Amino acid sequence: MPNMRADVVVIGGGISGLSTAYHLAKAGKDVVVVEKGIVGAEASGRNGGMISERTDEPALVPLAVESVRLWPTLDDELGYPTEFVQKGRLQVAVSEAEMGRYLTEKEVGDRFGVHVDVLDRSEIKDMVPFVTERNLGGIFFPKGAHANPQRSVQAFAWAFQDRGGKLCQHTAVTGFKLAAGRVAAVETTAGDIEANTVVCAAGPQTALFLEMVGTRVPLATARAEIIATAPIAPLFQMALVGNGLYGRQAKKGNLLYGGGPHEWIDVDLTSDPGKPNTPLIRNIARRLADLFPVVADVPVIRSWAGVIEQAPDSLPIIDILDRPSNFVFVSASAHGFAIAAATGKVVSELVLHGESSVDISGLRMDRFGEVAPNWREELGWIPVPAQA
Amino acid sequence: METKSLVVVGAGVAGTAAAIEAARSGVQVTLIDENPISASMMGLDVPLYYGNRFAHSLEDRDLMLQRVFTSNPALHEAESAGVDVQLGTCVWGAFRNTETSRKLDGPQLGLADDKQSWVIKYDRLIVAAGARDLNFSFAGSDLAGTMGANGAHALLSRYQALTSRRMVILGAGNLGLTTARLALNNGIDVVAIVDVSSSAYGDESLMHELQQDGVDLYTSHTLKEAIGSADGIESVVLVTVNEDNEPVSGTEKTIAADTVCLAIGLVPNIELLSLLDCKINFKSELGGYVPDHDEWMRTSVENVFVAGDVAGFHDGMVLNPEIARNQGCLASIAAAESLGAMDSAQAHARRSEIQAEAGAAAPAEVHTYWKNWLQSLVNAGGLDVFACECEEVTRAELIDLQPPRYLEWRSEQMSSRSLRTQLQDGPVDPGQVRRLTRVGMGECQGRRCREQASLLLAAESGTDVAKVPFMSYRPPVRPLPLSIMWPHDETEEMRENWVKWFIPVSRVLG
Repeated sequence: MPNMRADVVVIGGGISGLSTAYHLAKAGKDVVVVEKGIVGAEASGRNGGMISERTDEPALVPLAVESVRLWPTLDDELGYPTEFVQKGRLQVAVSEAEMGRYLTEKEVGDRFGVHVDVLDRSEIKDMVPFVTERNLGGIFFPKGAHANPQRSVQAFAWAFQDRGGKLCQHTAVTGFKLAAGRVAAVETTAGDIEANTVVCAAGPQTALFLEMVGTRVPLATARAEIIATAPIAPLFQMALVGNGLYGRQAKKGNLLYGGGPHEWIDVDLTSDPGKPNTPLIRNIARRLADLFPVVADVPVIRSWAGVIEQAPDSLPIIDILDRPSNFVFVSASAHGFAIAAATGKVVSELVLHGESSVDISGLRMDRFGEVAPNWREELGWIPVPAQA
Repeated sequence: METKSLVVVGAGVAGTAAAIEAARSGVQVTLIDENPISASMMGLDVPLYYGNRFAHSLEDRDLMLQRVFTSNPALHEAESAGVDVQLGTCVWGAFRNTETSRKLDGPQLGLADDKQSWVIKYDRLIVAAGARDLNFSFAGSDLAGTMGANGAHALLSRYQALTSRRMVILGAGNLGLTTARLALNNGIDVVAIVDVSSSAYGDESLMHELQQDGVDLYTSHTLKEAIGSADGIESVVLVTVNEDNEPVSGTEKTIAADTVCLAIGLVPNIELLSLLDCKINFKSELGGYVPDHDEWMRTSVENVFVAGDVAGFHDGMVLNPEIARNQGCLASIAAAESLGAMDSAQAHARRSEIQAEAGAAAPAEVHTYWKNWLQSLVNAGGLDVFACECEEVTRAELIDLQPPRYLEWRSEQMSSRSLRTQLQDGPVDPGQVRRLTRVGMGECQGRRCREQASLLLAAESGTDVAKVPFMSYRPPVRPLPLSIMWPHDETEEMRENWVKWFIPVSRVLG
């Protein structure tokens, strides 16, 4: 294949990369997205589908609020269904400690002008009659929402193509050609692509790509699990967190719930990390049956796992490197889906103007200072030794 | 957690042979079989295509347990040999440590009966999980009375609970012919055996005998539709097809029948092997995706062995149960040898006795025959027939890659997308198609639609079906109520370490 060239090469066909690519293509840029598998193959297509203002993470609130503002426009904007449902986010507390944390979220919400209702147990019962008797109250975000991850990723990918973008699936990025402090070309398994700007949105592989251009970024990868039940009549429409689980009832009626301990793993540059489920799915099932006793006899019909990268503070990192100077990157620390509607706007602004109209000051890389080479070991964020 | 030395999954011909052989070698064997299947699971057509034509007696679990036992003399033999036989127990999960899952305390199986689930460890595993019914849909196939040959066999010989009166059988191979024989022997009127091919390919003398008993054979025919009511199928319309599998107009025949039994092929039950990440390859002659195994029935994963239809099924095996029995013995010898219960000389000696009985050769491939059947059904019945009954998605919606109807989505952009446009971005990906259309996402866990969807995608994309990528299976491989999955054995450690989501270090430390 002859060398290609583009205004922007986006590495990664997840929802952050595709949202960015969409916005850049819409702004008239010539954009190529390089994806080693298919779009949404990793966490973007495998997450719980939750969208909210994230007042549990103050640094994230401005971006999350912007995303919550934009999500409702996506179906029309993109022209494809995302299965978006905006009926709020309910967080049910089953312990006093949990209720305490929720009240802090309420305070942060007040600070940022995010509407958060504090509910007592009877108000929660009114809202979701089938919820556990152990509920001690909770908080409700009226603008919380959920959508279908796979459908949403595909919607961005298709809309990107409709705007003239070029999607290269089954193509892995293998390196960079650097010249004069810039990336001159992105090397891929299908040949080099010359680029004015590179956007790295490579999820679990992000740290590996940054290492190639000489930057150590603290990201560790983990595997987490979700279960799906058979479809049942509508129980609730909001995103509902509680009893150690997060999830939603899909439009079709399936309950989709995840939670529990995750497992730190290693990934490499080009292969598809294995995503097995483990007997943990029973523990998730238990908590779901406990959260909604009425569904105890509903069968679990499926489970899946996803691989997510995490920064030490579990917050996204969005930044432009000093060198190579035409290298922008975004890593979401498992918030990727929730913030996706705004990610593309913010990152495309960084590409086009060098700055963003949304306050992402708390999401820059400088918050980590000097990253120690053994930071994962220090945090214990490493895989356990292999055994039989 | 309990550790079993050797677990054999499936108490059919291969599994019982394996269990008995191993027990006689001095190995402690646990033989697990999910029969009797609960009536509610059968209602979902899991694990076989039972078709909802069954008697209420199925709900009498004790009676069914008794029938499972009496219909399978090898179970008694296994018990006498010292095998720990666990009936009414399904294996819904199989887990082992891999590169990205390292915390298991050794390889494990998820088990469940009708009351609870539990997890056991194993040293050696023989999967003899059999095969399920290949299903192609047709207009009316969602009516009660549409079933598969293995489902029919189970209801007839194991449960004695099939209430069919007049049966039409699709497929004139040995699978169809033995089903016809069994049905006749049970007082069911077999009103037609239908095959899309121009001749029957099953055993000639068996076919001849059936014709003597008044069974009509319709070759170069397909099923146009089944007609019925809330009670199920009442009649079927057959039609002659030409060499291109197209219906010849004016040749329709309506036949009174309450049952359509699909005996076109069987699909190996490789779910557990997929969960264990055993190497799986497409071998058309053996029914599609099957586990790699060597001559001693060892899979690519150490300590995991296969035997019987799960290792690959072809129609010649129907009349020759020795093939499955031999595989069971070979798997057992390999397991016993690896456990140290036999030395290599003993294993060699025992194997040489078995090798002598090796059975019939597999055909070159089966998918041309499957494709002809499906093409005839599509030509006669159209694209507006459900490809996925659980999710109510038609064949047209599948190949047009349309979002499910309940989204009520219409847009110009969406209408311009289809499988064809998707192929411009890469080869056909059945997993992606499943997630977008929901075909295969329902309660039967894709058992009734997986192969049909693959063949439709292959045809529409001009891809050899062998090149349509394998879609992995996920646990639980049986639909399992939350209350049954519930871990009564949950550890305190699990409760203490439970997190809703990643907890930021700042908060842990702060």
